[in-house]
Amino acid sequence: MEEQPGLSDQYRTASPWPLLVAVGFALSEVGVFLDIFPIAVGGILLLGGSVAGILGESGYTRRPWRTLAFLGVGFAVLGGALVATQLPGSSVGLLEIVGDPNGIVGRGLAVVVGGTMLVVAGAVSQAVGRTQGV
Amino acid sequence: MASGQLVLTVLMGVFLVGVAAFLSRVEDWRSYTPLASGGGGGYGEAGAHVHREKPAGITRWLTTVDHKDIGILYGTYGVIAFAVGGLMAFLIRLQLVAPTGAVVGNEFYNAILTSHGITMLFLFGTPIIAAFSNYFIPLLIGADDMAFPRINAIAFWLLPPGALLIWAGFFLPGMSGAQTAWTMYTPLSVEQTNVGVDLMLLGLHLTGVSATMGAINFIATIFTERDDDVTWANLDIFSWTILTQSALILFAFPLLGSAIVMLLLDRNLATTFYAVGEGGGPMLWQHLFWFFGHPEVYILVLPPMGLVSYILPRFSGRKLFGFKFVVYSTLAIGVLSFGVWAHHMFTTGIDPRLRASFMAVSLAIAIPSAVKTFNWITTMWNGKVRLTTPMLFCIGFISNFILGGVTGVFLASVPVDQVLHDTYYVVGHFHYIVMGAIGFAIFAGVYFWFPIFTGRMYQRTLGKWHFWLSMIGTNVTFFAMLFLGYLGMPRRYATYDFNSAIAPLDMVTLMHQAASAGAILLLIGQLIFVWNILQSWLEAPKLEDADPWDLKETDQHGREFQWHERRTATALADGGEEEEAVTDGGEVVDDDADDTSDD
Ligand code: HEM
Ligand SMILES: [Cu+2]
Repeated sequence: MEEQPGLSDQYRTASPWPLLVAVGFALSEVGVFLDIFPIAVGGILLLGGSVAGILGESGYTRRPWRTLAFLGVGFAVLGGALVATQLPGSSVGLLEIVGDPNGIVGRGLAVVVGGTMLVVAGAVSQAVGRTQGV
Repeated sequence: MASGQLVLTVLMGVFLVGVAAFLSRVEDWRSYTPLASGGGGGYGEAGAHVHREKPAGITRWLTTVDHKDIGILYGTYGVIAFAVGGLMAFLIRLQLVAPTGAVVGNEFYNAILTSHGITMLFLFGTPIIAAFSNYFIPLLIGADDMAFPRINAIAFWLLPPGALLIWAGFFLPGMSGAQTAWTMYTPLSVEQTNVGVDLMLLGLHLTGVSATMGAINFIATIFTERDDDVTWANLDIFSWTILTQSALILFAFPLLGSAIVMLLLDRNLATTFYAVGEGGGPMLWQHLFWFFGHPEVYILVLPPMGLVSYILPRFSGRKLFGFKFVVYSTLAIGVLSFGVWAHHMFTTGIDPRLRASFMAVSLAIAIPSAVKTFNWITTMWNGKVRLTTPMLFCIGFISNFILGGVTGVFLASVPVDQVLHDTYYVVGHFHYIVMGAIGFAIFAGVYFWFPIFTGRMYQRTLGKWHFWLSMIGTNVTFFAMLFLGYLGMPRRYATYDFNSAIAPLDMVTLMHQAASAGAILLLIGQLIFVWNILQSWLEAPKLEDADPWDLKETDQHGREFQWHERRTATALADGGEEEEAVTDGGEVVDDDADDTSDD
């Protein structure tokens, strides 16, 4: 095994996350911009999961599942805000608009769905982890 | 439609499951995931995984965060993009041997013309420079790695999806390649309903994000990771140019990204950013695009200038003449490059006073460029010049840069530009620089550091063939283009079957054929290059000499070759492990470096 003169070995030299962060980012961008629901949701799941993973791996956060849930909340709020811009000010048109989404609402909903799934995944895993850990 | 959605959903699901399976295979992520953290103390056990090797095979390349591996990845990616963009260029030249167009239809011509430009600038140019900077900046400044190794890897992995999206129009059903030209001028680019354009814009956006992440990383690395004995005073010239380039990227690329997002919104969600009348109109796009676009050309040329400034003295037996002034001129170009963008818009009818001031700054930018040129020439003056392949490419760089630069100065003068704008003269001008200078400096870098990349030497005769074919090919092709510009041949045309009463058709045809003949020389040269690199990498004998260029004799043994020497010495002492010279695979790494105690 070769020694690395001049190079410290303080870094792990392999991590699965960067590739996944990049692919997740690309998929969510394409999915949301082109309004393709499955790709948008899948991309957001991948992006959220891998960002939580990479943050945990590099020690920025200590509970990846909780990070995952927080990221999910972020996405859900963003998507919700996007949907909200399309709501008529007074009436309660939410159901109608969700039933027949226009371009912006459809995109917003995809983000909300992706975010919510992240929250659920994060919360469930956190709970499971806790019961196993004890 | 609904079934299409279903198929996509299933595909997406399968893909995500695949990802999960991949993750559980390659990563024991309990080692850093305090899954059992609720119980407390679980993390201590994770620290027991102390020794962890870099995985083998393809997984290593998919998961690496080592700057040298990432440099090799960028390099491979850049060479592939160069091949794709080069074949597109060759098709363009093939089309233009006959006035009516020899091989392809007009629409397809427009599509490959667009894609050639975008591929070369965004998928070849920026990444191939990143290949060198990733591999060598940490070595040159004595750093362990980049400041943010994982972000470094993310930046690289954004590029393959970017390339797929940019080329998607060509191979996805129901789409065609974008026909916007690389400048994507509105209203044309808003009006084309082809989804291929949207995909291309999204791909461009990804490459922009990638370049920005890389730039932040380089700035952080050069500022904070330098070894104690690397000061601002003795920082090498390549690192200076990368630092300046990164600053330019930081200001230019996010702007392009926003402009592209606005264009996408105009196309898909009926916003009116660039709409004529109620929006900013076509001029808004041109201003935004060129505020990015001109710095972009210096983003592409500064690091190659750094490569030449670094390599040329090593084969001249002298130190770089006027080192300080080369650094100052780099910084000056960096600042000035943001003040010249409207020289691309001289014929749009902007205010003549604006035109005059942009002309003044554009002419001023020639001064620092000339400072560099004179410094390179004086470095060789009375030196002990050794005409190795990398040196030949450096000298070719200077020659082509002078031609490209001087034609640029002419274009910067408003009256001349009004005659030559949008003709082949412009195409000749910038190709002298992008191919004749940037391309040549890249080749110089590949040959100069080939022993470090591979532990072997390239085949010298093939290298010489590569140089001469490229040098002659470049000058035949692009000089013919300058001449075509004088003949009034407009750029971007798929055919040129003009009325011979208004155009010297015979001469135009002849010059187009000359340009295509040069392209054949270029193509042969690049085939030789690829063959030489691949074959030498795989089959050349191991290089025992860690100082293949005899740099010690002239006291120019840089940090990267010192590192290479240490590595070679260790490898030989170990019995010369074969693969190790490529990059450091399979090393043992302490896993607990980033462990923290649990709460
Ligand atoms: C010596 C400094 C330079 C000056 C004064 C200069 C000047 C100009 C001018 C005035 C134009 C506009 C021509 C027109 O469209 O009518 C132009 C176009 C162009 N230049 Fe330069 N240039 C210089 C250096 C460079 C460098 C270093 C590069 C590349 C790395 C470059 C790449 C380009 C490109 C790509 C275009 C064409 C843009 C398009 O597609 O319309 N130039 N240059
Ligand atoms: Cu310019």
